[in-house]
Amino acid sequence: MGRGGSHAAPAAASPPWHALPDEVWEHAFSFLPADSDRGAAAAACRSWLRAERRSRRRLVIANCYAASPQDAVDRFPSVRAVEVKGKPHFADFGLVPPGWGAAAAPWVAAAADGWPLLEELSFKRMYVTDDCLEMIAASFRNFQVLRLVSCEGFSTSGLAAIAAGCRNVRELDLQENEIEDCSIHWLSLFPESFTSLVTLNFSCLEGDVDITVLERLVTRCRNLKTLKLNNAIPLDKLASLLRKAPQIVELGTGRFSADYHLDLFSKLAAAFAGCKSLRRLSGAWDAVPEYLPAFYCVCEGLTSLNLSYATVRGPELVKFISRCKNLQLLWVMDLIEDHGLAAVASSCNKLQELRVFPSAPFDAAEQVSLTERGLVDVSASCPMLESVLYFCRRMTNEALITIAKNRPNFTCFRLCIIEPHTPDYITHQPLDAGFSAIVESCKGLRRLSVSGLLTDRVFRSIGAHADRLEMLSIAFAGNSDLGLHYILSGCKSLKKLEIRDCPFGDKPLLANAAKLETMRSLWMSSCSLTLGACRQLARKMPRLSVEVMNDPRRACPLDSLTDESHVETLYVYRTIAGPRSDTPACVQIV
Amino acid sequence: MSESELAVIKPEALKTYIWLQCFDGSIQQVEEEVAMFCPMICREIVKNGTGSSKNHAIALPERVNPASLSLILDYCRFHQVPGRSNKERKSFDEKFVRIDTERLCELTSAADSLQLKPLVDLTSRALARIIEGKTPEEIRDIFHLPDDLTEEEKLEPLKNMNDDPRIRLLNRLYAKKRKELQERQKLKDVQVQEEQKDERSLDELLCFINGDGDSGGGKAAKSKKKNKRRKDQAKNPPKASSEPLNKEGALCAIQRKVDGGNISRVLCQSPDMQDGVEDPFEDADLDDGLDPAMKEELDREVEDFARRLNSVWPERVHLGQDRRIESHIGGNGSLQRFPGKFPGKLFVRILVL
Repeated sequence: MGRGGSHAAPAAASPPWHALPDEVWEHAFSFLPADSDRGAAAAACRSWLRAERRSRRRLVIANCYAASPQDAVDRFPSVRAVEVKGKPHFADFGLVPPGWGAAAAPWVAAAADGWPLLEELSFKRMYVTDDCLEMIAASFRNFQVLRLVSCEGFSTSGLAAIAAGCRNVRELDLQENEIEDCSIHWLSLFPESFTSLVTLNFSCLEGDVDITVLERLVTRCRNLKTLKLNNAIPLDKLASLLRKAPQIVELGTGRFSADYHLDLFSKLAAAFAGCKSLRRLSGAWDAVPEYLPAFYCVCEGLTSLNLSYATVRGPELVKFISRCKNLQLLWVMDLIEDHGLAAVASSCNKLQELRVFPSAPFDAAEQVSLTERGLVDVSASCPMLESVLYFCRRMTNEALITIAKNRPNFTCFRLCIIEPHTPDYITHQPLDAGFSAIVESCKGLRRLSVSGLLTDRVFRSIGAHADRLEMLSIAFAGNSDLGLHYILSGCKSLKKLEIRDCPFGDKPLLANAAKLETMRSLWMSSCSLTLGACRQLARKMPRLSVEVMNDPRRACPLDSLTDESHVETLYVYRTIAGPRSDTPACVQIV
Repeated sequence: MSESELAVIKPEALKTYIWLQCFDGSIQQVEEEVAMFCPMICREIVKNGTGSSKNHAIALPERVNPASLSLILDYCRFHQVPGRSNKERKSFDEKFVRIDTERLCELTSAADSLQLKPLVDLTSRALARIIEGKTPEEIRDIFHLPDDLTEEEKLEPLKNMNDDPRIRLLNRLYAKKRKELQERQKLKDVQVQEEQKDERSLDELLCFINGDGDSGGGKAAKSKKKNKRRKDQAKNPPKASSEPLNKEGALCAIQRKVDGGNISRVLCQSPDMQDGVEDPFEDADLDDGLDPAMKEELDREVEDFARRLNSVWPERVHLGQDRRIESHIGGNGSLQRFPGKFPGKLFVRILVL
């Protein structure tokens, strides 16, 4: 490059304009909103592949068996945050036997080896052992975030390893895990010098916790924003904890019941009054109505309220929720009943997500007056409502059609009519028309669960209209193979399909085999599948893993079974890692 | 402009101009305050005193072509005026990046080499918006990218690019630690794993009563050597794992566009997993002359971890009782829960009463 002078610089061949340095593309990729965009960019050409994979910082492995841990580490060497998901969703309902798989250990080992700078690790529905936690504590010097959701296999000893070993940990978030209590005072293993905690969620822990240690920890972690206690923390301790952490944004109370004492009530109310930043509230196990008013001063600021553990009913509950005018998320038991929901609907207009859980799902005699009315009212009054999970015992097509008309902006609609095969209780018709209205009206619907009496017709609607649907859950529905065929030949965006107890057989499965490779996974249990079809599917589609399970108590000796034999559970998923080798005896890969 | 002409204009305008020269030799002049807005040029002026005349023009990096320079100077000219509102600036920026993709790429590259961060961010975001929501074919089309990812390349394992010796040493030390933990894990796997008993008496159809399951869930991490792969047969256990293909479909959560052809391109492009290529990996050689002091420090680091873990590690107490995940009747008698005690975990009741 010449400086000054009047001579022309040599006419160097400038690089083709698309061949910019990697850093330029890396920076552009950093603004891409979705991993799928990054994936598309990486598939464009070699230089983009190189730039994208080297600059990838966050990775989501939506199915731990879709690729091997080593593949992930090799492909994305600079990852700082990983989320891995294991068992299929129906594991939550006991349909996946223990020992099925989804071990976290291979992922932790590969990460320890290939991502020493890893900062965040999330596992969902996986088997995480104490050794995994020990390895995490030992392997990542800048480890900051550990999130375990619906996992099992570890104990408080593992938590102790994290507390003792991860000196920079910011978030320890344990959601709905099965944690063995080894009576280890794991909380006390956070060193006295440790102050970096921002999130501490041990709500799913069953055992006792040393309150004094907890108080000291909370006191010295001045940046603590999320604190979710477990059921073992009594109400009287809550007040003193809150006084030590008035900056709290998200609180999971411990047990929220005690005999009513005025001074305890006043202490609580005063403590809550000091929490000016409190926005999200949960816990409230066995809440008693007398103490609910202690929350009143924070109601105005609450955006999220999870009362799914609170077995309180009556006017106090409704009064309390109605004060939360800025509520965006509400999870509540059906004890709120229709009239309660109506009141909530008119007060909480900003509601975006509603979940109503059944208080006595197995007891048909217990009458709780929560019906389709509640949902209709909420859909009418809350213009921003887009996500619903609703358990009830009766429904009508008319109600569903009204709901669909009121709220075309639904992205998630999960309706669970508790009794299988329940028809429209007025017309006694199947609920096809109602659910069809939902999918036709809600063009942005991404997740749908259907229930009640349904014929193949509803699946034709879903297949034809639910273009953005990514996850579909079906149980006790349909009347023939056509139902499944409509789904698999339609639903352009379908990623996860889970089916149980439906009369769907081999033909639609084999006819739409190619579709399965465009999806993440398919679960079919208690349907009409034969082993022959599964074998054929496995032969036809080598990039799918076809897992079969008949009796979780017994080994599954596939070789001795004929093609005609019935398959109780089928789990199919796409994978580039080949068949896994950690199946228990009851699971066979065809 | 000839120098004499300039000499006439300059006193009239009473402005200082800075001279910039592109790689192709062309020279531009620009008002000083505009040029100063660009940090790299500003540094040249202040530290090296260049740019004050045509003969001492500031030599710009290669990636700045005249067209891009012109645009960049327009950007600087607008933004260096202090009085503008945020709204004005935003509006200007939005219009500014509405140029064809080719020029946008050149502009991004030029801004990057001049270290003009606000413009780099602006143009990068604009590029991202173009890429967003498109398929690889469409992206190749728009950016005129070569279709140079062969089937084989997609199959070929991609090398770990960690060249930093410190990281490699750390990896080795962690591998050592990992092996120790694996030994411990293997010992534990031998014990029969404690099973969860499901005692939901209400639910007749529930047949997932656990017998002596094997310890399938707790397998030790496979102690394979980091880089060893073998040709894959589809039915073989994943220890000899297949070559990693385009991972997008497998690893990433979202697949937006689902038209058959597209997806198969994006997803797993290998025609057949059996056609594995030979493993091009060489074993990572970690015993290259490393600074012994650093080695020592890292050794101490790992030992420190181990010591802390061991010292606070009371013996694991194995409780004899079974874990119960039955639906428990709450103290008030009215509440029942089921698998896992967590309210979200119910889809449809299994039992028909």
